[in-house]
Amino acid sequence: MIPALHRPSIRGRARADLGPLLLVAGVVLVITLLAAAVPPLMRATADRAAQEAIRKAGPDAAVQAQARWEDDYGPNGGRVRSTGIAADVDDFRGRAEEALDPDLRAALRPPITTVAAVTLAVTDGSVQRHFQVDYVQDDAGGPAVTWIAGRAPGGTADGNVEIPLNGPLWEVQVGLSETEAAALKLKPGGHVPVQDELRQPYNLLVSGIFRPVDPADPAWRTVPWVLQPSSGLDGSGSTRLGGLLSADSLPDARLAFQQDQLRRTVWFAADPDKLTWESAQQLAATAAALKATSASSGARDDSLKWDTGLDRVLRDVRAQVDAAYAQAAVLLIAVLAGAVLVLLLAADLIARRRATALAATRQRGAGLPSLATELLIESAVVTVPAAALGIALSLLLAGGAALLWTLPVVVCAIAAGPAFGVLAAARATRDRRAPANRSARRRQLRTAQLRRVAIDATVLAAAAGAVVALHQRGIASGSDSALPASAPTLGVIAGTLLVLRLMPVGTGLALRQSLRSRRPLAVFGAARAAATAARVLPLLVLTVTTALAAFAVTLDTTTARGTADGAWQTVGGDARLDVPPDSRDDATKIAAQLATAPGVKHAVAAEVIDGVRVIADNNALTPTLVIVDAAAFQQLRADTPLPAAPDLAGLSGPRALVRSGDGSLRPGMTMRLRLENTDPMVELTAVGTAPAIGTATDVILVDASAGLAYQPDTVWVTGSGAAKAVEAAATGGRAETRAEVLDDRRSAPLNAGLAALEWAAAGTLLLLGMLGFALSAASSAPARWETLARLRTLGLRPRDTHRVAAGELLPPVLVAAIGGPLLGLLLVKLTFGPLALRTLTGQLADPATTVPWWLLGVAAVLLLGTLVAVVAAEAALRRHLRLGDVLRAGGS
Amino acid sequence: MSSALLSVAGIHRTFGSGPAAVHALHDISFEVEPGTMVALVGRSGSGKTTLLNVIGGLDRPDRGTVTVDGIDVTALDEDGLSALRRERVSYVFQTFGLIPVLSAAENVGVPLRLARTPQADRERRVELLLELVGLAGHAQQRPGELSGGQQQRVAIARAIAASPRLLIADEPTGQLDAETGLSVMALLRGIVESEGVTALVSTHDPVMMALADRVIHLADGQLTT
Repeated sequence: MIPALHRPSIRGRARADLGPLLLVAGVVLVITLLAAAVPPLMRATADRAAQEAIRKAGPDAAVQAQARWEDDYGPNGGRVRSTGIAADVDDFRGRAEEALDPDLRAALRPPITTVAAVTLAVTDGSVQRHFQVDYVQDDAGGPAVTWIAGRAPGGTADGNVEIPLNGPLWEVQVGLSETEAAALKLKPGGHVPVQDELRQPYNLLVSGIFRPVDPADPAWRTVPWVLQPSSGLDGSGSTRLGGLLSADSLPDARLAFQQDQLRRTVWFAADPDKLTWESAQQLAATAAALKATSASSGARDDSLKWDTGLDRVLRDVRAQVDAAYAQAAVLLIAVLAGAVLVLLLAADLIARRRATALAATRQRGAGLPSLATELLIESAVVTVPAAALGIALSLLLAGGAALLWTLPVVVCAIAAGPAFGVLAAARATRDRRAPANRSARRRQLRTAQLRRVAIDATVLAAAAGAVVALHQRGIASGSDSALPASAPTLGVIAGTLLVLRLMPVGTGLALRQSLRSRRPLAVFGAARAAATAARVLPLLVLTVTTALAAFAVTLDTTTARGTADGAWQTVGGDARLDVPPDSRDDATKIAAQLATAPGVKHAVAAEVIDGVRVIADNNALTPTLVIVDAAAFQQLRADTPLPAAPDLAGLSGPRALVRSGDGSLRPGMTMRLRLENTDPMVELTAVGTAPAIGTATDVILVDASAGLAYQPDTVWVTGSGAAKAVEAAATGGRAETRAEVLDDRRSAPLNAGLAALEWAAAGTLLLLGMLGFALSAASSAPARWETLARLRTLGLRPRDTHRVAAGELLPPVLVAAIGGPLLGLLLVKLTFGPLALRTLTGQLADPATTVPWWLLGVAAVLLLGTLVAVVAAEAALRRHLRLGDVLRAGGS
Repeated sequence: MSSALLSVAGIHRTFGSGPAAVHALHDISFEVEPGTMVALVGRSGSGKTTLLNVIGGLDRPDRGTVTVDGIDVTALDEDGLSALRRERVSYVFQTFGLIPVLSAAENVGVPLRLARTPQADRERRVELLLELVGLAGHAQQRPGELSGGQQQRVAIARAIAASPRLLIADEPTGQLDAETGLSVMALLRGIVESEGVTALVSTHDPVMMALADRVIHLADGQLTT
């Protein structure tokens, strides 16, 4: 049967409660907009993060195909000079393009082919330098150069001549960039003095010196050492230089080197502009599959062997995006919970305002289904347009709308009004009276208590389950992560319920205390507070929103502090200078000069060698070795907020400090290490814990007096003038300043987006809390003002009514202002670990929680301010009501 | 000078304006001698509650004056009215109006707290009053644990706690059964005699009228006797 509807009643009720209904519509609009907009904004941010990571990774993210050359033995047992080798390289590129998955190909830039020889040691007796000859080819034939001296490399011989295997060194012509020619002090016609690992020399003739037309040409990124000396590519302390081959000199290079000493590679750089987060995931999977199905490097045929760091780069981004998604999901669920609670409170207020009218309607014969349908129509008319507007705004502003996230708010807004209204009508007309029998009354009370305990236990169990799920599974984007992402919200709700159960005890104690006092106002305020202390929704809304706002703000302050600490850790001071290879003899002098620059506190030179070979406890390890003046380094670190490293004090001789991510390096152990420039193994004893250096997980730190050959390549500088001083001294080297690193990380798409979301969530939650407080005050206002009116008939002065009203409303405000932030911080302790903040702050370990203690004050001021405003507004609204009218209405 | 404790002269009270105006009270004048119990009788809507509200200062008349114990109630500001209610006029309502979380004794003590009566005096007075209304054994019970009649007795004890000169009771037996109502009216009668207070009680019940010294009839906002 279709319930009979009474349209005038629907219209009349809506008109009478227009204010609260519009407020519901407002909450639905704002929260729907937020819930619908955040996921697409996160997706867009993830897209940008993936693009930026690819851009930063450069050649590391490229997909590479390699293939062996076919043997070039001639009919007489010698090697044949193949004039068509450049065409072969072209064919090789075509073969690689054809073999690529079309989807993967679409996300990659046009290929660049390189032919690179093994690196050779430069034997001019100066610092460690290596040399590599390279051929580079792209769609245009190769990067454009201008020959400023000599000519482009040409062929040593004509035609396909065969040369004996044990013949003289075959000459190959190479071109040098003007920078490298200057570094090697070579001119056209000169020979590059090189030899391989077996001390076998090579005949490399400099045919000319060139200047690149466009040094930013992507082709150069595959062989940057051809333009500029590059450090760290061929072992610690070494610099690589390069010589450019041409299509004419490539056949000679093939002959000049052994069969396996010349490597051909096709590079497909990933195109960031063609990537989205979703396509990046597919791309990473395709790249990983390509590597897995690729021929092994040991294969002797000319099949394609694929390699790429793209999957690793995207895996790192994925970790960051997952962490960002997790935090966003946690915040969004918190806001949704706050909104749902406020909507429930609004529904409660509306039902209370209508209680008399609903009861009368029911008494006139209206059925509950009819009433429910009428209320449902009303709430749908209020909610649906507001939600639609929110979604439309989301589409407009965020370019998409996550409808699923809006469901909780929309469903609650539609269902809560009818549910509360029907309950009020049913209660008003049901014939259930308190039993006269005392034991029956007691049983009824016990049943109600058991019901409450069961609800509390269920919420507590759900919260515990969510926290466990968060720790075990974490929150992964795209998977079923609603439960773990709800952990902070459920935890706060469970905690608030426990506090709520203690409220009657607290207000009862306050009442007893006030009864002993001589202040009547305190008694009345405490009495009203005790009478309303057991109301669930008001305290739940206030405390949950305040606690979750505290959670959001703590997330932001911790991330901000972690990012700042991460920048200190990455740079090692206010600025760091990576001394160019040519200036390393002067690194100590540079450090001394920097130390005297204006605004510089300390400058310390050190040698930082990545991947040294160490034997420790019979395990071969490759930690980062730092050789530094330990005492000076400790002084420098004292200028920074980096964790103290007390073991640096007194470090000298063959003793070392160690740090290890997996415990493979421990104080007390003896280590043996070999450096490239020291023949005998050096034995060191680990005597303490080393400070963290950059992003290295395993570190061995020794004092400059340890006896290791020591050529500083890094200068750490502290002080307000450090950045300026280092930038001025960074001729040819790389200056990295803490401020730049920090700025870079703060403005990274994920970090900036999350910071905005954290503040938006905290602000929204606090506003919801204040709105909830106003609603709960409005809901209890009729009873409060009736009591106050009665007290006024006993002689209470009008001005004292404000104090009594404030006294009634104060307990939930105090609990929320103090308990809310503390509850939020408790949940921070319980849930921050799995949120993996370190992936966004750039630290090795999760950042220490930074508690915004000021929040306690802000929450107190905001909530107390709301209380004062609510009491003042109530008093103003009721000022014109005569006591007789209040009592007549209340007593009816 | 009149010896009346309560003097009502030319009271008019209209609600609303224009054609929809309701003339709740029209030129009401009467006097009540001290120590008497007066029943104000009339049908629902006759203006009884409005008249009691005007007399007690809960509402202001459009015209006319009300004098209680020599004080012109209609000339008092809000603080003056508060002082009047604290010291001279008290109320008993149909709905009792007790504070649910306070015990019977604490409810009775509320006016004494407002009057800042010392604790020892307050406790003595409360004990006496609860004995007077027959609830000495229920002092620590809360309103929810008392019957309707007992709650109204607590309300009466509270009303006379501060020794008012005038007790205004608006349908004090309206929510009680006939037998309990009669006992409450008898209690009021006894209090008038024992405490020397003047009582103005509105009621529908003819049985209650028999307990009054005088009956004032009100119909359509006008006195009929």
